[in-house]
Amino acid sequence: MAYTCYITFPTTFFAIRAESVLKNKPCSYKMVPVPRSISSSCGTALRCECNELGAINIILQNNKIEIEGFYRLEEIGLKTPSVEELFLDE
Amino acid sequence: MNNLYFDNAATSWPKPESVYSSAENQMRNAFGNPGRSGHTRTLEADRLLYKTREAVAGLFNINDPARIAFSLNATDALNTALKGYLEEGYHVIHTAMDHNSVLRPLGRLCKEGKITTTTIPCSTKGYPDLDFLDNAFKPETRLLVINHASNVTGTLAPLKDMIITAHKHNAFVLIDAAQTAGSMAIDVEDFDIDMLAFTGHKGLLGPTGTGGLYVKPGINLKPLREGGTGSQSELDSHPESMPERLEAGTLNSTGLAGMLKGIEYILDRGLGNIKEHESNLRKYLYNSLAELPGINLYGPAAGDESSCIVSATISNTDSGEIGYILESSYNVLCRTGLHCAPLAHKALGTFPEGTIRFSPGIFTSKEDVDYLVKSMKEILKLVQ
Repeated sequence: MAYTCYITFPTTFFAIRAESVLKNKPCSYKMVPVPRSISSSCGTALRCECNELGAINIILQNNKIEIEGFYRLEEIGLKTPSVEELFLDE
Repeated sequence: MNNLYFDNAATSWPKPESVYSSAENQMRNAFGNPGRSGHTRTLEADRLLYKTREAVAGLFNINDPARIAFSLNATDALNTALKGYLEEGYHVIHTAMDHNSVLRPLGRLCKEGKITTTTIPCSTKGYPDLDFLDNAFKPETRLLVINHASNVTGTLAPLKDMIITAHKHNAFVLIDAAQTAGSMAIDVEDFDIDMLAFTGHKGLLGPTGTGGLYVKPGINLKPLREGGTGSQSELDSHPESMPERLEAGTLNSTGLAGMLKGIEYILDRGLGNIKEHESNLRKYLYNSLAELPGINLYGPAAGDESSCIVSATISNTDSGEIGYILESSYNVLCRTGLHCAPLAHKALGTFPEGTIRFSPGIFTSKEDVDYLVKSMKEILKLVQ
């Protein structure tokens, strides 16, 4: 089973700040609309490979980015995926 | 012949070229509705607002840019602060130099019986009576509103001293920086400012319809408007987090794109250089006008620190008529009358006639001032 991970933010301000602090860092991610299967305060989420989530989280924590949640979604095309909320160590 | 513009205290003109082009670029390329959707054009708009907030934070030395909410102008920001903070029974202190953007919201709240106010008298040059201020605080005083620079005379309030006094009496301060943002150093963290209202279209060189309000962490204002923010859409109550808390509805991204370039221009040219340029111009204008017989000048003396404004009257002459002749015969644009600050005119002794206000800007030259003074000299000959 393949998975994609998402990070959500309490406000757009922190979503864009996250993008800004990750710029030029050796990790791949994309800012995307929050999937409807995830509940989020802000409409933009960060999508990344699940094996990059830990490294990205460390950069965000070091830059005091407020995070709302971490999620792992099953890659099943356009159908509503199953969602698992992840709890990462800060 | 082009107009000579001496009305920068009303709105600055011209703007740097980058301000015009950035506003156009936003409409063409970063046109998404910020905070909504999530597509690339929205992200561009989000990035633009983020960058603008960071630029404002940098200019005013604000630690947390999220505490800056964008507004329509300084009036909007001041209304948000006053109506969002003041509660039944609060007492507010303000000065006689205040603009109607402070006087009218306070006046309404007083008329409704919600709050009480005390007006600090000001000298004929526009300086507030600091002894009066120190004695004006009551146990229920919760706010001191400070007009950083008068829009009639340019007189600068002793900001640091007044803030220290307010904090000594456990009151917050709200600074009206409509006339100083972009031309005077304002250090939010160093001055310990609680709330700062600014406009984008004057000293910050941006388009009209822009401005903002800084609110110190720990102060939670009741929003003036509630509605769409693009966040927490499932809730029927407005988000409490800043800046969304005070930013209901689609923001003026076009204007803010311009304001960002205005701030970048200021930082590039240097706030100190701008201040020096304007200070030299004001001194030159004041001294040149002072040599003309029959003209009365108001506000700080030529060498005193102030914002770039010189207010004048010609005895027994209608200031509006002088303004009309200046434009129709000399292509000089200025403002005449009461300048939305009736108590200031009472303090100066120019109520209800008002003054002729000249406000050079960062693109005004010494030659422009020479032309203005020559024009005034000719007009004075006509009226005497």
